[in-house]
Amino acid sequence: MIKVESLTKRYGRFMALRGISFQAESGEILGFLGPNGAGKTTTMRILTGYMPPTSGRAFVADYDVFMDSLEVRKRVGYLPETVPLYPDMSVHGYVKYIAELRSVPQAASRADDVLRLVGMHTRRDSLIRNISKGMRQRVGLAQALVHDPQVLILDEPTIGLDPRQTLEVRELVRSLGKTHTIMFSTHILSEAEQVCDRVVIIHRGEIVAMDKPEALRDQLQQGARLFVRVGKAPSAEAVRKALLNIAGVAEVTPLQEAFSVAARRGVDVRGRIASAISAAGWELLELRPLAMSLEEIFLELTVQQDQSA
Amino acid sequence: MRHIWIIFRRELAQYFSSPIAYFVAFAVILLMGFTFNDDLAARNGRAPVDPALPLIYLAQFSVFFVPLLTMRLLAEENREGTLELLMTLPLQDYQIVIGKFLGAWAYYTLLISLTLVHQALLLWLNPADFGVAFAAYIGLWLFGGASIAVGLFFSALNENQIVAAFLGMAALLILWQADLVGNVLNNRALAEFVRSLSFQSNYSYSFAIGIVRLDHTVFFLGVTGILLLATAQIVQSRRWR
Repeated sequence: MIKVESLTKRYGRFMALRGISFQAESGEILGFLGPNGAGKTTTMRILTGYMPPTSGRAFVADYDVFMDSLEVRKRVGYLPETVPLYPDMSVHGYVKYIAELRSVPQAASRADDVLRLVGMHTRRDSLIRNISKGMRQRVGLAQALVHDPQVLILDEPTIGLDPRQTLEVRELVRSLGKTHTIMFSTHILSEAEQVCDRVVIIHRGEIVAMDKPEALRDQLQQGARLFVRVGKAPSAEAVRKALLNIAGVAEVTPLQEAFSVAARRGVDVRGRIASAISAAGWELLELRPLAMSLEEIFLELTVQQDQSA
Repeated sequence: MRHIWIIFRRELAQYFSSPIAYFVAFAVILLMGFTFNDDLAARNGRAPVDPALPLIYLAQFSVFFVPLLTMRLLAEENREGTLELLMTLPLQDYQIVIGKFLGAWAYYTLLISLTLVHQALLLWLNPADFGVAFAAYIGLWLFGGASIAVGLFFSALNENQIVAAFLGMAALLILWQADLVGNVLNNRALAEFVRSLSFQSNYSYSFAIGIVRLDHTVFFLGVTGILLLATAQIVQSRRWR
């Protein structure tokens, strides 16, 4: 449904995209994960026909986004990062306006339908300036859905929402994913894991990984650090030495009353740590993977890339 | 055509929910009332009233109030990010510009038609020259279209409404007074060209004395067309940044 072929985009001297390629099948939720400035928004803007690529091609529903821009735009619903709203319009008036511009038949009743879908029909007559941020996000989503598009492109739809609203939007995206192809950008790893069928990780305009979320997690976990807390040990130094002596442990960093242990790539040292600690007569109080921050993941992935290159 | 109509309708409706539009309407009625009253009093018993005179004043005021009506049009869409949405809807960029222009022009038309009450009073006071009034209104209407196109152009150039309004006023003031600007230029050919751009002489020396001249009509329509084209280009250029 979405096909991107070695897309590049250059802003002056800055290369925002350096030849990315990926595909999304029909009915798939594709997560687009990356830190700010990675090129997520640029890719989405190209796919929605807002701006042309510098080179490369992109297709939505087999239409070229540059050559058949209008055909593509008819089939895509787009929620930009800053939700595009008219503060002086009512919720229903706004969605109806977009529906009319999209030539949706019976725009008024269709607008009511999508507002019901996103749970905003009770506020249909409120002015947009008076509704909360989470509600604005949902009105933006309603706008993107009003013409029942084949492809939905959502640029960080959960940013700035409170946890409950975030959950609601994720739920909504997941339920929409059954009938639509969705491309969904985020910089929160766990969000991509929960919502998406497949994740593309993009960093500095390049794709650094592309896989199912579980597979990506396993791949990343291997290089992850472990959090180890030990009780009844004579001294922290003794524990550190003991941990370093375990085969496969690459590095031990003391934390406050605990240690962060890095294993060599591809080695699972959890069992060995447990037995080494109990063999020494100490107590293993805690042993868990340290959650990786997004920055660490990129570091990890880019290092992997460099090694394989 | 449908798209232009939908955008036009929203823009026109927007004026009725915006305080600025009401303030402008209020100021126009007030100022026109004063000038009309003054004029009546000055001529009382001495000369017949010139039905076009209030309209010349109105044209002059347009220099200041039209940019207040147009500053919002594209600058706000630019800032709120709604232009990005419009540009990913299945419509052409020029349709956005034309829809907005027509919306503003329609509001301007309503605004100048408020002064028809003065014409009605004149008609009641003494037999007035219908032809002059009619030509003056046609001219004022065309004049307004060109002024709106100037304002819209600066609204597209800028994200800041205040800056857009200020630049629009400055440009319109120069265009209104282009005769004077031409007078201070040394180069004769350039001076004549600048003078020919004067909104004042294209209005006051023809429409306002009851003559609808083809060249002056073409002048205002031409300015409007060229500026709308330029505005559409500016909007489109966002795609290539």
